[in-house]
Amino acid sequence: MALAQAPASEAPRPGLSDFIDRHLGWFTLGPAIVLLVLLTIYPIVNLVLMAGSTINFQQGHEIWKFSLWSNLATLLHDGIFGVALRNTAIYAAISVAVEMVLGLGLAILVSSMRRGKGILRTLLIVPILLPPVAIGSMWKLMYSFDFGVLNQIVTGVGLQPVNWLGSTSLALMSVIIVDVWHWTPFVFLILFAAVEGLPSEVIEAARIDGAGTWSIVFKIIIPLLKPAIVVAALFRMILAFKVFDEIFLLTSGGPGNATEVVSLHLYQVFFEQNQLGYGAMMSVAIIAATVVFIWIGHRVSSAMGRL
Amino acid sequence: MKWTTTGRRLVATAIIAPLLAAPALGASFLDVGKQAPINVLINASPWYDGFQAVVALYEKQTGNKVNLEVTPFPGMLEKARNAVRAGGTSPLDLLNIDSQNVVEFYAGGFLEPLKEIDPSFALPKEVLTLDDAGCWDAKKQFRTCSTGKLMGYAPNGNIELFYYRKDVYDKLHLKVPKTFDDVLANCKVLQKPPKSYGYVVRGQKGDSIFYDMNAFMLAYGAKYVKDAENGDFTVEINSPQALAALKKYIQIQKACGPANAGSLGQGDLIQLVQTGKGLQAQAVIAAFPNFDNPRKSAVVDKMNAAVLPAATPGGKPGVAIGSWVFAIPKNASEAGKKGAIAFSKWFLTYKAQYAYAEAGGIPVRTDVFSSDLKNKEKYRWMTAYLDEIKYGKQILGFKEGPAINQMLGLRYNQALVGELSPAAALNKGAQDMYDLFKKDGRKTGMLPPLPE
Repeated sequence: MALAQAPASEAPRPGLSDFIDRHLGWFTLGPAIVLLVLLTIYPIVNLVLMAGSTINFQQGHEIWKFSLWSNLATLLHDGIFGVALRNTAIYAAISVAVEMVLGLGLAILVSSMRRGKGILRTLLIVPILLPPVAIGSMWKLMYSFDFGVLNQIVTGVGLQPVNWLGSTSLALMSVIIVDVWHWTPFVFLILFAAVEGLPSEVIEAARIDGAGTWSIVFKIIIPLLKPAIVVAALFRMILAFKVFDEIFLLTSGGPGNATEVVSLHLYQVFFEQNQLGYGAMMSVAIIAATVVFIWIGHRVSSAMGRL
Repeated sequence: MKWTTTGRRLVATAIIAPLLAAPALGASFLDVGKQAPINVLINASPWYDGFQAVVALYEKQTGNKVNLEVTPFPGMLEKARNAVRAGGTSPLDLLNIDSQNVVEFYAGGFLEPLKEIDPSFALPKEVLTLDDAGCWDAKKQFRTCSTGKLMGYAPNGNIELFYYRKDVYDKLHLKVPKTFDDVLANCKVLQKPPKSYGYVVRGQKGDSIFYDMNAFMLAYGAKYVKDAENGDFTVEINSPQALAALKKYIQIQKACGPANAGSLGQGDLIQLVQTGKGLQAQAVIAAFPNFDNPRKSAVVDKMNAAVLPAATPGGKPGVAIGSWVFAIPKNASEAGKKGAIAFSKWFLTYKAQYAYAEAGGIPVRTDVFSSDLKNKEKYRWMTAYLDEIKYGKQILGFKEGPAINQMLGLRYNQALVGELSPAAALNKGAQDMYDLFKKDGRKTGMLPPLPE
């Protein structure tokens, strides 16, 4: 039986709406792609090109000269960059580890409270609401050798004043303390929301089965929180690796190289010393180091999850 | 014909306004004519209030508008760079640039020689050139007025002076030190930490220690490079003279400074003096008004200023000039350039400089320093300034200057906090400088390393 064909005038014609239907994906993704190219890919490509060049200014114009090998050699022989990388890794590892432990502990503690939970949560997140410059100034005053409140307490109990920011052995720890104070609330906030979202019946069931508080925390709550813990740790690791403002305001990388970190060294080379090509090379190296650092952190967290 | 109310008001305004303006215009320190508004990049430094006041006076006297782009010190360089590098017309007509960083702008060809804007422009002979801060020889790539062009002028001749507590000196019968050994001798009496410190001088890594160390380096006869003006960039910072200077600096810091000398910055130093803990100090002249500020200071009228100590009796003090340079971008508008020149001519007159000093600025005319101001209590630092400025030197007048500042600012600090021995710090600093010059294709070399 032959099917009756619709008259030609009634057949759907390939028109604008058909074109839009067939290319809908491109139309919806287009603006995002344009933005990605303009705001992310182009700057990265430009950064890579700069990393392989020496850029000077003559007669008011930029002069680019290919210097990939020279910039690479400078990076490899830059002893301060090596020290800064090591300090950054120590800074990020210690501060993130402490923040995770404190943030998790606080999240479980506050979540278990029956009264005052809201007020405490609000108070605990105050440090992340403060501008970094205010935090730097506040802690600089507190750490002041002659006038700081910390040394007034220390000397008040009969001890010698502590050289918080001026001692090569203490300065890095002092800035880590500020970072922990600043960012633990961020970890707390993420984990607190996750703890509040845990199914209460699972915890109740464990309690009925005779599990103690520590067993519930370590065998029920923490395993259930693992996705949130990984997210919080990842965010913090990325931010800690990029640390700049706290160290710039508190120590400027000193004394000596005690608190020199990669972002600060990059700032000095790129902006203060005006070495644009080498600064870009260092930026590329820092991006690579950050990726490697996060990858290691991810592998370690995965390995710990399997234990 | 009937006058409308609006018409009457317009005519009245047209007659009265010039009459009101006339006394102000007539009283102008210099007739610069009607100029387009100009935008000036200026730093929020301790002397800013003085500059702001003198700009207000300029506006009142001339009717010309000046917009001040007030910026904290760390943001100045990038704002100036953006103005000249971004292409198009510069949003700023007059840039205040740190005398060390200005070399980058000279070498990059971003600034207009002042005589090319106005052939009649010249610095009055009384204006301090501050070791040729505002001149550039493009051929030599060096800052010099003898063969270079006038690119700018200093609005502030900042140098460091020696400060001491005159009440404490009187009480303990101490004398103003002539040498660093005299400083040490005084300090033995004064050093009672944490109640008081015998000598406070900056030790913080970076520009702080680099700049303050110049008082020692220059006094001991140390040099950074052999002959930069003539293209010989042989590194000489690891010389015996530099080693003696660094050792003396560290000796003084250990014997006379606070335990946190290695992290002592400008703000900390001023705090120590203001609170009465720092009894002798080395600091820029721009810090002096802070000591006499009754809202902030416990030592109002108690501090006095003197010439910096020398290395040996009869020797010269080491005076590093840390000035600023006012310069005009090549890409400023023609009207903006002319307006900037007009303001500059007015600003450098004796009367404007006098008013500037009265309002808290550091003038740049010798006749203001030797005027009646110097006899007033508020300006008691002026005599020492005038005695010392003749020894002033601009440091690192070549494009690698900022990088060397950073490099040596780290090495000196490492020596101070004990990360490196003084000799090792200078050897490493010399190597850093040599590598930089070599990378830039300079004619360079090094002294033999100091024994570590």
